[in-house]
Amino acid sequence: MSTVHERLRRLLFLVPYVSKHPGVTVDDLSKALNVKREDLLEELDLLTCVGRPPFNPDDYVDIYVDNDRVYVDLDQRLSRPPRLTAGEAAALAAAAELLRPAAGDALQSALQKLERILPATARERYREMYRKIDASSEAPQSLGPLTRAILERREVTFDYASPGRTSEPRRVRPYELLSHRGQWYLQGFCHTRQDARLFRLDRMESLALTDTSFQPPADARAAVPNPARTDAGVRVRFSKLVAPYVTERFGSDARPLPDGGVEVRVAGDSERWLTQWVLSFGGEAEVLEPASARAAVARAAQASLGF
Amino acid sequence: MDRTERLLDLVALLLDAREPISWAELREHFPADYGGISDDAAERKFERDKAELLELGLPLTYIQGDDDRKDGYIVDRSAYYLPEADLTKEELAVLYAAGSAALASGAFPGSDDLAHALRKIGFFAGDALPSPRVRMELGAAQGDPELSARLEQLWEACAAHKWVQIAYASPKRPEVIERKVDPYGLALRRGVWTLVGYCHLRQGLRTFHVHRIRELKVNTARPRTPDFEVPADFSLDAHVAYYPWQHRFHAPMEVTLLLKGDPAQRAASLFPGASVEPATEGAQGVRARLGVTYLDGLLRFCMALGPDCRVEGPEAAVTRVREMATRIHERHASTEEKVSA
Repeated sequence: MSTVHERLRRLLFLVPYVSKHPGVTVDDLSKALNVKREDLLEELDLLTCVGRPPFNPDDYVDIYVDNDRVYVDLDQRLSRPPRLTAGEAAALAAAAELLRPAAGDALQSALQKLERILPATARERYREMYRKIDASSEAPQSLGPLTRAILERREVTFDYASPGRTSEPRRVRPYELLSHRGQWYLQGFCHTRQDARLFRLDRMESLALTDTSFQPPADARAAVPNPARTDAGVRVRFSKLVAPYVTERFGSDARPLPDGGVEVRVAGDSERWLTQWVLSFGGEAEVLEPASARAAVARAAQASLGF
Repeated sequence: MDRTERLLDLVALLLDAREPISWAELREHFPADYGGISDDAAERKFERDKAELLELGLPLTYIQGDDDRKDGYIVDRSAYYLPEADLTKEELAVLYAAGSAALASGAFPGSDDLAHALRKIGFFAGDALPSPRVRMELGAAQGDPELSARLEQLWEACAAHKWVQIAYASPKRPEVIERKVDPYGLALRRGVWTLVGYCHLRQGLRTFHVHRIRELKVNTARPRTPDFEVPADFSLDAHVAYYPWQHRFHAPMEVTLLLKGDPAQRAASLFPGASVEPATEGAQGVRARLGVTYLDGLLRFCMALGPDCRVEGPEAAVTRVREMATRIHERHASTEEKVSA
């Protein structure tokens, strides 16, 4: 969209916002509008020039900054922002799909209410645009209660099955939900293991919220699971056929080879994961070293052959 | 006068007007903008302004006057102001969680629109807006700064029905290919954005991973006139694969799998859409049957599941999976004993 359009949208929201929050600080206002402080001050300057013909003193939008706080003399015309445009409503509805089906009934009813407040003329366009983004991301059911637990800062319990082990009960402080390559993870502090852990949502069972509350750490960003490490001990070679896909996934961690293939070094702490991963390339990947990992892949391939 | 300023003045004027404002009056009110040029040029200038105002959500109409009213432009004020949507706390939380996660991902089409929408629905909510910690990594490629811009351009092209010119780098080909595409829509599958559209080069519907688009230009000619119509029966879902075996690489075939242990427990979630029934004739576990349009995609997935997942049929699939396993075994057993099969 043009910058004029973006600016206008922002300004038509700014005036009603200040009239609802008189005396809002310049910093809070720039945060609410997601613009830089100096850009906001420029916008406020422009607004003082806005009015309606014949441009007598009373015809101007009376917005001003006093002691780093912003005020507007009650302006009946711009007391509320404009309705959602078809594009805005469609983008919101499409984003909401990211949490379907986990969000359940609340999502459905929210979207119905949203559609009701659209101008009649925008409704058809909204439906058409909404159909143009399909972001339904197979969000697991447990996303709903976990989001609630994070918001309400309540510990959760669930049975967790680590790969290759039988499931066991865990008690966890939930910090953050993370979706990576289509897979959902919960990051939190595990009381059972006394350590920070990343859990796959599809391996949780019997999830329940407890009444024990906790204080989340200020910075609890989960690290994205990435097996590639330049100093890792396992070297895997990929054929020319799959090299472009591997490069797309690992970027510069995929080292080009003279024959058109690539080599990636990965951590070998989970033999099971490594074996599964190599097998999933159906013969286009080969572990070069260590010998123990090569032997593990060979055994797994043999097991598939049924010997 | 600066265009932004003029448009805001027009909003202020029209929202305040108690009766229709004629074109002649508008020209008088804005002499520096609509005066001093030919009638035609002034009218065209105002038409462009009008289009922008409509885009912003100002319900501007022209009415023919009668005995009581004169001709002119008027705004339906009740259709302009945002009403309260009466969202419950839960509904607001869902929209906020999804919307802010999408924005924070840095890879969601229509992110400008989305940011404005979130602000507007939060307008009546007061200060107690929930800020859920839900983070999504969308787009799959390694931190591609172009991705966000491309998605934004595609969102606008989809909305305005304008064709796009793309330079596309498919991993299947060494060279980058220029294509002209009518964008029908965007789909997110397992963290990857896919563009679905009519490809003028191949003369048919094609899918493109957005992170593989190297260059993108939207047709700028006649921006308010659509270049194409999306067929009424078009559905994104019918063209985008969720799982590797759903890529349309060959004619559909039905594959039967015998699952034991952990994969048997999770059969329905591992193979959505498959028919699953208990295995008969004394075998343990379950039998799953599913439609497949990319056999190698399925077989690689099965290999990763290990010996608890056995391919039972058809014969071609059994042969192929044995080939794969034999090849892997040969490559990895080379320093030890040779495979005897």
